[in-house]
Amino acid sequence: MTQYLVRRLGQGLVVLFLVSLLTFFLINLAPGGPSSLVDISTTVAERNARYALYGLDRPVHERYVAWLGGAVTGDLGTSINQGLPVSRLLMQRLGATVVLALTALVLAAGFGVLLGIVAAMNPNRWPDHVVSTVATLGMSVPNFWLGIIAIIVFAVELRWLPASGIVSIGRGADLIDRLRHLVLPASVLAFGLMPNVVRVTRSAVLETKATDYVRTARSKGLPDGKVMRKHMLRNALVPITAMIGLITTVLFSGSVVIESVFGYAGIGRLAIEAANGRDYPVILGVTMLAGTVVVVVNLVVDMLYAVIDPRIRHG
Amino acid sequence: MKVRGTLFRALVALLFALGAAVATAQDADTSAVLNLATNADPTLNPWTPGAVIESNLINTILFEQLTRYSPEDLTPSPMLATSWQAEEGGLAWVFELRQGVVWSDGDPFDAADVAFTFNDVVLNPDLGAQSASQFSAIDRVEVLGDHTVRFVLNEPFSALPYYLASFAGIIPVHVLGEAENPLQVASFNKGIPVTTGPYKVAEFVPGSFVRLVPNELYWAGEPKLAGMVFRIIPDLNTQVAEAMAGQLDVVTRLSPQNVRGIESTGALEVLRQSQNLFFFVAPNHDDERLADVRVRQAMTMAIDREAMIQAILDGYGEVASGPVAPMLGALFNGDVRQYPYDPEAAAALLDEAGWTVGPDGVRQKDGQRLSFYMPTGQFGDLVPATLLVQQYWQDVGIETDVQVMEWNAYIQDVVLGRNYEVTLAWWSMPPTADVAPYFSCDAAQTGNNIPNYCNEDLDRIMDEGRAALTLEEQADAYGRMQELLAEELAYIYLWWPDILTAKSVRLQGFPEITASAAFQHSFDWYVTAR
Repeated sequence: MTQYLVRRLGQGLVVLFLVSLLTFFLINLAPGGPSSLVDISTTVAERNARYALYGLDRPVHERYVAWLGGAVTGDLGTSINQGLPVSRLLMQRLGATVVLALTALVLAAGFGVLLGIVAAMNPNRWPDHVVSTVATLGMSVPNFWLGIIAIIVFAVELRWLPASGIVSIGRGADLIDRLRHLVLPASVLAFGLMPNVVRVTRSAVLETKATDYVRTARSKGLPDGKVMRKHMLRNALVPITAMIGLITTVLFSGSVVIESVFGYAGIGRLAIEAANGRDYPVILGVTMLAGTVVVVVNLVVDMLYAVIDPRIRHG
Repeated sequence: MKVRGTLFRALVALLFALGAAVATAQDADTSAVLNLATNADPTLNPWTPGAVIESNLINTILFEQLTRYSPEDLTPSPMLATSWQAEEGGLAWVFELRQGVVWSDGDPFDAADVAFTFNDVVLNPDLGAQSASQFSAIDRVEVLGDHTVRFVLNEPFSALPYYLASFAGIIPVHVLGEAENPLQVASFNKGIPVTTGPYKVAEFVPGSFVRLVPNELYWAGEPKLAGMVFRIIPDLNTQVAEAMAGQLDVVTRLSPQNVRGIESTGALEVLRQSQNLFFFVAPNHDDERLADVRVRQAMTMAIDREAMIQAILDGYGEVASGPVAPMLGALFNGDVRQYPYDPEAAAALLDEAGWTVGPDGVRQKDGQRLSFYMPTGQFGDLVPATLLVQQYWQDVGIETDVQVMEWNAYIQDVVLGRNYEVTLAWWSMPPTADVAPYFSCDAAQTGNNIPNYCNEDLDRIMDEGRAALTLEEQADAYGRMQELLAEELAYIYLWWPDILTAKSVRLQGFPEITASAAFQHSFDWYVTAR
């Protein structure tokens, strides 16, 4: 197992290196420059002076090597547009995104598995159709639209929930306040991701329902609930775990759209602002973070398989 | 009889004023905290490159300037400077500074701060300070005494007091003087800066908000609000939703589409403010087809600007006859050549210029076609406006190849690189008729003169305007400038848009004229009790 882990981590590092190389060259070759250095009223002389200050007049490969040298020692550079160290920006925003992502994950996985089971246990009857419709809605409705509608309905009209932000001003330690701010963005996020879990769960459960050992258990007179828990769920869990692993990486990369709509200061918003503003050090920092999350989550999911299904061994 | 009537009216006015003053003092809710929004994390330094829309208004509250705009007519009025005078010949200006002003950390404000701000920051080409090019006429600032400075100029610059009132805050030498780059001190720009304004920063939570509290050391006394919060909300729709939910008191730069929703709440009102801002189509004068003034005039007459204002701005705008907006009062000259929508006249003028319609519907002359590369940036209303202009021009036989570019790329390629033949954009200028940075021969090619227009007659008139020290002389010179610009169409002027600001009906003391003037008078703001 240790050998497996070491091998996987080594592979992960190679992946991250390649990602950094590709990203650095792609973004530097894209037209346009950092938005804080150039706006519509900048003159050519001003642009050149500012670029020189940030070393942007050096050739691309030179800048990459400089960045890499810093990155391996933990120094991700300074944001051009924000003037703050990249690592500090990432730390500040990561917590918010983790909370949002975990909440959305719990909601999506929880409701997804539940609804998937309900659908699978009543195939082609009305509960299955209802779940199907909800799942289709979740996949088709654009989440920025849903977010704005949610704000209009719940914040503007009903005034039940706040429209944006992580916490109300001056109430930093208030848990209830933070939860209230979390409800809308997490729900909108979850609504878009839940359908995947529903579908995978439904088909996984249906598949296991048709197996011999389940038929045997039921013919022995075991009640449905017990059959579900003792036999079916664990077998169905492998594909479900894979799906949840996939969603997690998407979530942890920050939901760019949701965070922008809800004014939620997380990694997603940092990423979109950095991309639009050509903030090269921040773009790289966020990409590296997302890459690390993907590598780690994939590793955890693979390890989980071995736990869930003793037949799967990693050598 | 006449005298008695006047006396009576004066008495009534006096009573009203007294009544209003009494009502004001009693009505102000001194525990009120005002909620505003900004679309990104501000940079709390007026001169740092990139400190623009998200930072301008909050920096106006925090960093006082030498002068500010009077809310009645936008003429420069005292702020950190109490009086100013041009010397003989107009090549130097002496400013007397206000006594008793103290920075928010207790250090006294004096001439050294002004000298540092200009000599070491604005005029230092290596720092690339924001809007530094607007002050290119200044050579240096001399300290004549603790509270007296002398601006030494390269050339006459009659609009100096106006430009000093336009996002030109003074920064503290005792805090930033020793920094390697005074514009990139993160603890200042993104933390708690040292300021002179009526409110100071108490807390800056990145990505979330900036909280201001009254500056108890402010030179004019205690401001009337308990504080202000600038919440960082990137999406304008979310800002509008927050305002409608009662969580925001001011939303700047509204879209015309938001007006009805805002007004329907009853708790908010929409102010139609103005700004010296004009939208235009820039013809690249390096292109010989566009160097013919008849072509430019025909292109202007071919566009139904009234209809575009209705369609794109919901009517919140006015057809522009030139770069100087009517809000400049005496310096505005509307008595210039106009170009009402007349596609037939446009076609006739093009025929007269030798451009006849070819078999493919596009005009041609001597083997050249009237077909232009028209890049546009993805920002605001630029794309729909460009597409409409394309249609109008197609109707008179002018073809355009419209390319939509991402905004960042557009600035580098089109604005800086001048890689375009016609392009639609806008300029926002301080409220002065001195538009030299956008029209002079010096500013062509690499400066802000995007169309690369160069006309020595125009340069001469603009120099006269800069040398003119009385309002009459300026109105005369700039009046002639506007006549010339309307004849010549250096830019094809489109419209002056209304600037829409939503504010709580309970917020008083908020000058309506322009957003920057309103924020320069934040000391006067107060909120009435419910």
